Amino acid sequence: MAQMTAQAAPPAGQAASTTPRSPNPLQRFLHAREASTFLALVVLFLLGTTIAPGFLGTDNFLTVGQQIAQIGIMAIGVTFVIINAEIDLSVGSIYGLGAVVCGLLMTSDVAWPLAALGGIAAGAVAGLINGLVTVGFGIPSFIVTLGTLSVYRGVTLLLSGGSPISLSGSDPNVAEFNLLGQGKLFGLLPMQLVIFALVAVLGTIVLSRSRYGFNTYAVGGSAEAARLCGINTNRVKVTAFALSGTLAGLAGVLGLSFLSYVQGVTGTGMELTAISAVIIGGAALFGGSGTMLGTVIGVAFIGVLQNILNLRGISSFWQTVATGAVIILAVAADTWLRRRSGRR
Amino acid sequence: MTSPATIAAPTTAAAVEVTGLSKHFGAVRALQDVTLDVPAGSLTAVMGENGAGKSTLMKILAGLDTPTTGTVRVDGEQVRRYDPATLLSRHRVALVPQELALAQDRTVAENIMLGVEPGSRPFPHRRRIDERAVALLDRLGVRVDPRRTVRHLDAATQQLVVIARSLARQARLVILDEPTSILSPAESEQLFGVIRSLQADGVTMLYVSHRMPEVFALSQHIHVLRDGRHVGSWPTAQVTPDQVVAAMVGRELAAEFARHDTAPPAPAATPRLRLSRVSGRGFRDVDLTVAPGEVVGVAGLPDSGRVELLRGVFGADPISGGDLALDGTAFTARSPRDAIAARVAYLPGERRQQGILPTMSVADNVTILTLGRRQRFGLLRRRALRRDADTRAQQLRVKTSTTAQGITQLSGGNQQKALLARWLSIEPRLMLLDEPTRGVDVGAKAEIYRLFRTLADEGVAILVSSSDLPELLTVSDRIAVMAAGRLVGVIPAAEATEEKVMALATGAHTMKEKP
Repeated sequence: MAQMTAQAAPPAGQAASTTPRSPNPLQRFLHAREASTFLALVVLFLLGTTIAPGFLGTDNFLTVGQQIAQIGIMAIGVTFVIINAEIDLSVGSIYGLGAVVCGLLMTSDVAWPLAALGGIAAGAVAGLINGLVTVGFGIPSFIVTLGTLSVYRGVTLLLSGGSPISLSGSDPNVAEFNLLGQGKLFGLLPMQLVIFALVAVLGTIVLSRSRYGFNTYAVGGSAEAARLCGINTNRVKVTAFALSGTLAGLAGVLGLSFLSYVQGVTGTGMELTAISAVIIGGAALFGGSGTMLGTVIGVAFIGVLQNILNLRGISSFWQTVATGAVIILAVAADTWLRRRSGRR
Repeated sequence: MTSPATIAAPTTAAAVEVTGLSKHFGAVRALQDVTLDVPAGSLTAVMGENGAGKSTLMKILAGLDTPTTGTVRVDGEQVRRYDPATLLSRHRVALVPQELALAQDRTVAENIMLGVEPGSRPFPHRRRIDERAVALLDRLGVRVDPRRTVRHLDAATQQLVVIARSLARQARLVILDEPTSILSPAESEQLFGVIRSLQADGVTMLYVSHRMPEVFALSQHIHVLRDGRHVGSWPTAQVTPDQVVAAMVGRELAAEFARHDTAPPAPAATPRLRLSRVSGRGFRDVDLTVAPGEVVGVAGLPDSGRVELLRGVFGADPISGGDLALDGTAFTARSPRDAIAARVAYLPGERRQQGILPTMSVADNVTILTLGRRQRFGLLRRRALRRDADTRAQQLRVKTSTTAQGITQLSGGNQQKALLARWLSIEPRLMLLDEPTRGVDVGAKAEIYRLFRTLADEGVAILVSSSDLPELLTVSDRIAVMAAGRLVGVIPAAEATEEKVMALATGAHTMKEKP
């Protein structure tokens, strides 16, 4: 079929509802979803420089980077799930599962690359199960992952036999493995931070430039409309859960490498921090919106907040309170801003 | 802009006076300096294309939005707090929205009396609630069990429940926002009866609709908005539909609404689509052909199976029996993906739930089916996609400042044009269209009709299902009528009249065996 020829009549007047704007880069930035989170991060940063002793400094920033890397990697995976209008509550348990599986392989003298892959694979399988059960039985992922949160934790405890696993640093295999979590690239950049950065860049490309990323937004916005456009919505969702599990497994492996120590309860509660970071980063729980950049900013926000509280010597109990309050504030501010600007 | 002619009705006090009303959303001016009167006891229609500002005006009058500048007076009293509760309890203004907001799992009576239950506060008197509700429904001439759960009522009855609810709050002004858009012709007639009896009771009504016949049958005054401005107002008796349409679109377009009288295409050797005793979810044993270049309309009541037939052919719902052939080759789509691969397009009737991808841009919505053509090394070429979208949006004259805009920011008509642009991108050979002009203004409607003609002339086969009979008579070469899941007749357009079609559609309906 050739050209459309049905365009004879002149336009019916100027559309009042679509007054064209010519956005300059600053305006475009201010309209971006991440803008409010980023501005909040800047404010927090300025606050840190004034009230927290030793806040400004490369060493401190690298420490923060080291601390947020594992949560960050998990949050990247969770972002895919949340944009799909689903939720993954089990990533904290998968973190523990990945670490324990890797630890058991290490203590059985499996070469460290295989052991690491084993931990990651355990996470991938756990995530795949989340996805298949959600899609196959058509039950809300909130319920499914609430269940597997407990199931995977139980499996982790069973595998570890309830006793902690320690890796001995004198073993050369372990020493090499420890470089993943403790090593520094060029003697400066923490290896974990480098891995987080790599995962974040890959995640950004997949989400914003690949067809899979496009389909993720489509399915999260309206699964039925996406299906009628020929998208296999089930596959998109299952893939997101598998990604989330894989990255949680990877984070667990890094955790083990960093501490040389893991026990059955490792990772408990991490899912909430990871989900919080995604939400602070501007993704909506209704699905269909959110960006990787937003998630990274959200992760940095939580990291900087905890760092400031640490430097001020405020107890970790208060840090827990602060993180929760910030989530509510962030979402409230975002909602308020969008209502004011007439966007919905 | 033409200056609005004032309504010559000085004898009755104005029930609503809107003065200098403007509403801006950021840089967007949804309403600009609108001044108009709604005389007490009248039924006043507000017309305009989508995006003209009708919804914004109605929202302000119902307290769902606050004006940027300007005032609203109801019975002389100025509205100071714009929220629904104030408008309802203090000014007695009630809105019957397009999307009916009822508590689906509560009973009819509970929904009607919600918030005004008789009896002491924490323990409402159940029997008296039912009695009051029945009294109100009687006043509307509606018979429905007050204990029934709302979820089990059809859309028409739910709408009447919403109207009864506004009566329970003693509304003196009822705003009806496109009330017939979800109703079948018979249901619309029932609603018109209700509207007339309300008017006899002295209730003032504001009526928003795109449909000329009903506006001319019911209203005493007509106001027209265009691009957020008030561009015309007349007593209904002193104006013609053509004048109103001209004011709405700012130009003449009678031609598109005339029945096209070109000869139907010569019967091709192989039809584009052939259905032989095809059954599926909601329809049975349908025999039908659509030739290349032919537009076949599917008429029928909302539950006749016509929507389901299109979904079945597209693979959105499973086909349970019979044979389908596309250009002579057996073809059964097991999923929409199969259908799209065979260049079959489907425009769903529920645009908001099934058509648009609400969180994505116009460009994303328009290019979703052709992403594969703009990929390099597994990555999407965003800029090329944007160009594709710009070209397609221009061809269909989608009014948008940029295709990077969110699709939900477009008016209904422009969303629909964007969706048509999406489906044209696969160069379809068969298009399945459900309610292609629902919630679409006259201007866009005319463009869509013209597009159908162009496509048919290029050899595309079109199967269009609609509850709008004049529309089907306008666009179709043949009309297939469905009732109770079966095809009950096929009438050539030249012989079809609304009466004939309705007789077929409803005749079988009354004889429908209950499953």
